[in-house]
Amino acid sequence: MHLVAQDLVNGILAGGIFAVVALGFSLVWGIMNIINLAHGAFIMLGAYATYQLTTSFGLDPFLTLPVSFVLLFALGYLIQRFLINWVARAPILVTFLLTFGLSLLIVNIALIVWSPDTRGVHPPYAGTNFSLGDVTVPWVKLYTLVAALLITGLMQLWLTRSRTGRAIRATSMDIGAAQLSGVRVSQIYAVVFGLGAGLAGVAGTLLSLSYSLTPNMGDPFLIKGFVVCVLGGLGSVQGALIGGLTYGIVEAFATQIDVTIGTQHISGSGLQDAIALVVLLIVLIVRPRGIMGRAVA
Amino acid sequence: MQLRPMATVLALAILATLSARSVPVAAAGDTILFGAPVSLTGNLTKEGHLTQEGYELWKNYINAHGGIKVAGKSYKVDIKYYDDESKNDTSAQLAERLIDQDHVNFLLGPYGSGTSFTVAGIAERKKIPMVEGNGAAERIFNQGFKYTFGVLSPARRYLEGILALGKAQKPAAQTVAITAASDAFSQEVAQGAAAWATANGMKVVYSNKYPDTATDVSSIISALKQTNPDIILNAGHLQDALLVQKGLREQNVMAKIYGYSVGPDTPDFATTLGNDANDVMGGAQWSESVKYHGDPGFIRTAPEYEKAIEDTYHHHADYHNAESTAACLAFQYAIERAGSLDPEKVRDALVTLDVTTFFGIIKFDSRGLNVYKPMVVNQIQKGRLLTVWPIGLAAAKVIYPAPPWGQR
Amino acid sequence: MTARASARRIGLGGITGNPIAFACVLGVMALLLAVPSLHNDYLQVVFRNILMYAAMAYGWNLIGGYTGYVSFGNVTFFGLGAYCAAVLSSHGVQNLFAYVLVAMAVAALFAVVVGLPVLRLRGPYFGIATLGIGLAVGDIVENLDALGGSSGIRLQQVDEAHFAVYYYAMWLVALGAMLATYAIARSKLGYAFVAIRENEDAAAVLGISATRYKITAWAISAMMAGAAGAIFAPANGFIDPSITFATDSNVFPIAMTILGGIGTVAGPFIGALLLAGANELLQRYFVSGHTLFFGAMIVLIVLLLPRGLVWLFGLRGGARAWLRSVQAYKA
Repeated sequence: MHLVAQDLVNGILAGGIFAVVALGFSLVWGIMNIINLAHGAFIMLGAYATYQLTTSFGLDPFLTLPVSFVLLFALGYLIQRFLINWVARAPILVTFLLTFGLSLLIVNIALIVWSPDTRGVHPPYAGTNFSLGDVTVPWVKLYTLVAALLITGLMQLWLTRSRTGRAIRATSMDIGAAQLSGVRVSQIYAVVFGLGAGLAGVAGTLLSLSYSLTPNMGDPFLIKGFVVCVLGGLGSVQGALIGGLTYGIVEAFATQIDVTIGTQHISGSGLQDAIALVVLLIVLIVRPRGIMGRAVA
Repeated sequence: MQLRPMATVLALAILATLSARSVPVAAAGDTILFGAPVSLTGNLTKEGHLTQEGYELWKNYINAHGGIKVAGKSYKVDIKYYDDESKNDTSAQLAERLIDQDHVNFLLGPYGSGTSFTVAGIAERKKIPMVEGNGAAERIFNQGFKYTFGVLSPARRYLEGILALGKAQKPAAQTVAITAASDAFSQEVAQGAAAWATANGMKVVYSNKYPDTATDVSSIISALKQTNPDIILNAGHLQDALLVQKGLREQNVMAKIYGYSVGPDTPDFATTLGNDANDVMGGAQWSESVKYHGDPGFIRTAPEYEKAIEDTYHHHADYHNAESTAACLAFQYAIERAGSLDPEKVRDALVTLDVTTFFGIIKFDSRGLNVYKPMVVNQIQKGRLLTVWPIGLAAAKVIYPAPPWGQR
Repeated sequence: MTARASARRIGLGGITGNPIAFACVLGVMALLLAVPSLHNDYLQVVFRNILMYAAMAYGWNLIGGYTGYVSFGNVTFFGLGAYCAAVLSSHGVQNLFAYVLVAMAVAALFAVVVGLPVLRLRGPYFGIATLGIGLAVGDIVENLDALGGSSGIRLQQVDEAHFAVYYYAMWLVALGAMLATYAIARSKLGYAFVAIRENEDAAAVLGISATRYKITAWAISAMMAGAAGAIFAPANGFIDPSITFATDSNVFPIAMTILGGIGTVAGPFIGALLLAGANELLQRYFVSGHTLFFGAMIVLIVLLLPRGLVWLFGLRGGARAWLRSVQAYKA
């Protein structure tokens, strides 16, 4: 029975990361109606930024969080301002394609800069753990979850309380009205996209502790980010958190399915994508806007 | 309406693609041209580069030492590469391009079992011999192909050595847990290991698989931990080997032996995990401490090969380098023995080939697979990779059982 | 909005797109019939793939372009079609017509069954649900030993002398997809699709049963992708889940349709020709950097031709009009 408890813990710990991955993606999609396929590449850049800082300056990875946020925010802001802005009002698929091309560019440049070698971030406390009864909790994963919760909390606060945050929410509800209130839309768009990239960078930093770094590392997280985003509800911070935790827990429990019918081995772990997606479909049928979703434009 | 811009673009596009056929990069004069689709991008990039290094090292050595002698005449060697992006299908198409457009004489294999499998199909259809050193799945060789040869030991052998080692220790290891990625190669490795364990009196207490794109294996490890195995085996690739080892550490899973099919032999494994990589074992096709003495015509011993790789590429020789070079060697000896560049004659020479090289014996069974070369087991000891099995080839004594975490 | 402006909004020259573009495309198709006589196996594969992607692009264009339901999971139908052919082949059937018919039936059935719940979702939710379906089906096939699992299935092939039959078969599939799109675009069906895309609720008020038409669109799009898969499988000689359910096969047809001209009849083919052709050329000349240049090329095309290539056919007013189009979507 303690396997259930351990699975729950595993799921929640993994879910925190999914939440941060999905958060940036969700904001950009929900507010700007842009599907940023380069989000995975941004995650990868955040991870490599942490790698460089920890190996060149010996910094603790968690201390690099603000740095990777700022770096990726700047990158995202510039990309939006000088590239994506040209097609900001185009149908969603045009930006989809643009970000697809961008992601190819970024990943291949990373391949040239860092070579295909696998790298890792390995602080001295990596692997250490403590026990809660029968359940083992790894410290790194716990710190990651705490960081994820803090970040989502901060994001939510900033969006509801700060001036720019409110301008962003106004723009997403009604561009015309926002402009009439003095909001500069192109500026807001750049900030939002930068935010999305910054959050991706932060996700990358957190991931670098648990997952090894290669230029392609962002791909599986992009796809999971898609799913978690929609599961939780586009454009909602709480949605990303709830979606992420749900996804993590479902994946953890699905893994325990392990039966053999005749010669066919049915492995929940092998089928984890299928199972998670069945859950997604069920959620969408019951709540077509995601668990916490708002109306889609 | 302006017809011109669009029509011009279309016409140019078609002309450009068609013009591709009129430039034969032929194996003219005194050069033997080999074709090799390798994964220069995609998730097998690192391994693809190692493969290319192995091929290039051989090519440069041969060209500097008089080339290949065919019926008295000396031929230089050249290799044409394309990037298959680690995709099975692309690899096959590129093989077709190499044969039809670039007119290569022979094919060198890509990296990976999936890609080797599809390229083998092309080699068969076009009747051009292919020798590969990086696709160990037996299903490649169970198709009745006549034109594909593999110089490496089959997949099911990868983890057998570790099990044999475990059984030979005192007290003998008896229970085994196996986790595997869901790709065909890893599944074959896992099935081979399970079969060997069961046939030799060991009990498989846990066996499960995970998708290639898994981002977290914690729950598998939790379930595995409950079964308390003596030996924990993983059949996968570098990325998931790292995930598994980290996960085992994080959940404090104690076993006597930790064995991986892929991982420990790559320097990235030890550098990424630090001390947690110590005492881990890996099944390997080759290591620098094997004591073969190769036939003349190339570098003859493992330490010399290690030095050549070290000097040229500034990293330890990986067995992926060695097995790729071995594939080239098979062609070298076969071509010289055939005394001809005719594909059929070279193929026949490959069938009867029997040589010893720095890599081990190269000899193919009736299916084209090299079942004659044993695999070795390497163990990471204090950051260094050392061969510990078979005893006759061992460079160090095995550390068994693995000490508790934090004490390695 | 005036009727004329509405017409212009939904597509250049009505919803079939530019007629000159279409005529050019048909001309190129006729030229392509000559490829097997060049006796270059490799070129045959290149153009066969272009035709395959064109068929898949047409399929996507129907549900994503005309009906406005952006699907990220059409690769499912391609994979299902391929596996239909593989299963038939392992039971001794080598007839290409049989492959295509069975594949289309299975794909359409799957589309209808899955479409009933999923097409009720809108916008991004529909998109991700379809992505999920693609991933799930790929997962399930990979785990089913009866379908070869991750090892895949080999198919029987005709001998080398008759290999061109696969080329012609794919050509027919692509032509079929193209002509079907043209016929639909000019029919009531096509206008219903566009009505749903532009304003689904208004369309419902006007008596267009959205559900029925959406499912029809998806089923037809499924049949196109399924047919392409059914010919691809024997032509390739081997399929496995990584080949038939790859995410690339999802993105490429979408990219091709967008670059070519979404919601038009000529667009998907032009996009397929351009992207697949460019990929080939880049591979040839830039062995190590080709993906980088491919990405750069896509970025440039999107920025310089945001309305797709078909738009070039209707270009009046030369460079100035083009400059205006580049600025058209700026925020």
